[in-house]
Amino acid sequence: MTTATGRAEPSRTSPRGEPGALRAMWQHRVDYAYVLPSIVVMLIVIAYPIYYTIDLSFYKTPPSLQLRDKIFVGMENYTAILSSDVFWRVTWNTVVWTFGSTVFSFMLGFGAALALHRDFFGRGVMRAILIIPWVISAVAASYIWKWIYHSDFGVIGAVLVGLGITSRPPNFIDNVDTVLPALIVVNIWREFPFAMIMMMAGLQTVPDQLLRAAKVDGANAWQRFWHVTFPHLSSVSTVTVLLLAVSNFNSFIIPWIMTGGGPSNASHIWITHIYELAFGRQRWGVASAYSVLLFLILMALGYFYVRALGGNESKDRGT
Amino acid sequence: MSIAGERPVIPRRSRRQVDGWRWAGRIFLVLMLLYTAAPMAWMLLTSIKSGFAAMQMPPQWWPEEPTLASYAKLLDPQNSVGADFLRFFWNSLFVSTMTTILAVIVAVPAAYAFSRFSFPGRKFLFFAVLLRNMFPAVIFLVPLFILMRVLGLVNTHGSLILTYLTFGLPLAIWLLKGFYDNIPIQLEQAARIDGATRFQAFLLIVMPLSVPGIIATAIYSFIAAWNEYIYAYTFLSKNDQLTLPVGIQRFFSENTTDFPGLMAASFLMSVPVVVLFLVLQRYFVRALTEGAVKH
Repeated sequence: MTTATGRAEPSRTSPRGEPGALRAMWQHRVDYAYVLPSIVVMLIVIAYPIYYTIDLSFYKTPPSLQLRDKIFVGMENYTAILSSDVFWRVTWNTVVWTFGSTVFSFMLGFGAALALHRDFFGRGVMRAILIIPWVISAVAASYIWKWIYHSDFGVIGAVLVGLGITSRPPNFIDNVDTVLPALIVVNIWREFPFAMIMMMAGLQTVPDQLLRAAKVDGANAWQRFWHVTFPHLSSVSTVTVLLLAVSNFNSFIIPWIMTGGGPSNASHIWITHIYELAFGRQRWGVASAYSVLLFLILMALGYFYVRALGGNESKDRGT
Repeated sequence: MSIAGERPVIPRRSRRQVDGWRWAGRIFLVLMLLYTAAPMAWMLLTSIKSGFAAMQMPPQWWPEEPTLASYAKLLDPQNSVGADFLRFFWNSLFVSTMTTILAVIVAVPAAYAFSRFSFPGRKFLFFAVLLRNMFPAVIFLVPLFILMRVLGLVNTHGSLILTYLTFGLPLAIWLLKGFYDNIPIQLEQAARIDGATRFQAFLLIVMPLSVPGIIATAIYSFIAAWNEYIYAYTFLSKNDQLTLPVGIQRFFSENTTDFPGLMAASFLMSVPVVVLFLVLQRYFVRALTEGAVKH
């Protein structure tokens, strides 16, 4: 790889001590110009909102967005959240949702990538079809599945009745026990193609010679997979799982459109709950405190995220 | 890594033995295909039924009287439903296109800088870019809403374009950086020895080579903006400003039983992005993997 930071201008980089830092920044002032547009936009739209959210989380707020009459309450919003039952219910749902969606999306995507790795007639078409759910809007996907799950005229219910498994079409969406798994199925439908794409690209980096050598040495298909292919894919797998986990943790559209968090909070996850607190019940202070807690969790996740991605980058430099 | 993106051709392994694993793979693929395609097929089948035919139990597996009435209604500018739908469609197209153009303009120099230069703070900046990818929209909603009001952008498409631009940028920069990393730096060095300035080398040597990356980034931005829901749902309240996802939701929360219409609308909403993806899928898939899979 030819990234080779600084090779473009080796004379300009001075790896000397502290006083050199400012000078280095000055010497590189032109380079910042390339990044400046992104930084300015992101400062306005990202840094300010983060500051604002943290600030607001310490206040009791009036329901209008005219937030001048807020009252400072210290940590009260946080203690209220942590002692509420809904919080723990929603947290558990989020864990189930994130874990279930990520694990199954990854496994199905990886399986599909393996099955599609070998060339066969119609492979390209099949790959394209499998990726389509990932491209279409989550809103459209939610409506399609809502119709499929429909309690009276849903096609799944019809199939189950037709096969004689149940006498009446089951109502997946309005049942506290089945609603979350039903939504996870929809989410996996949209997410597994992403894992598939990533793992397909990863599979192409596995050297064929190694596989053939293993075969000559008498390794069977499973051993070749487990001892040659899989170790090669560890970094791609890490990145894929992390990206999936983050995006599942942050999902909103599917639960929001399909159930709005109901019935009785059974399908509320953190993001939908925060949204409802803020824009449904206008409890801006509590919603902000929730967001700050979310920040903290994401920061912990982010540590692994950056390490996985950053590790990839430094390895890339080394070669 | 080759620039043009040909991956090493994998020689076909012998097809002598069709072993158990291969059969397992085939069965698995068929099941996945069913899982993926059946909902889409059911959407299409429902969309060509009449409202009455859709609401039957057991369902009509194949519509007895196929009709394009739902599509005709949605695409007819004379009809109030059609007029709304076409306006939402146009709004989505405008917002997505503007976002895409701006994202490319801003991301190209940034990605190039991240790939080539070593300025203090470079690493920190790049991680800031990556980290942004992690924070959910909902955290930014309230402050952004207030910010948009200060800027006078509430209920304008400008608010959406600015927001999508920001949230699309980290990934766009990341994707493009992967492409720039793969363009040999020697090409630029040669150009500079021949007397080109760094900017000329960038414009005349690197830019043409990075066209596939730019296309990929553009498709990605477009699809993300086209499908975005939560900001559009929060920032826009005037009916004539809505983008498709929100417009459809608002419309069908009033007409809850018109499932053929809803399915037809879902289909029409998916057409542009699916077509775009199918035509350009090579770039698209490559861009996504370029950043994460290095070889």
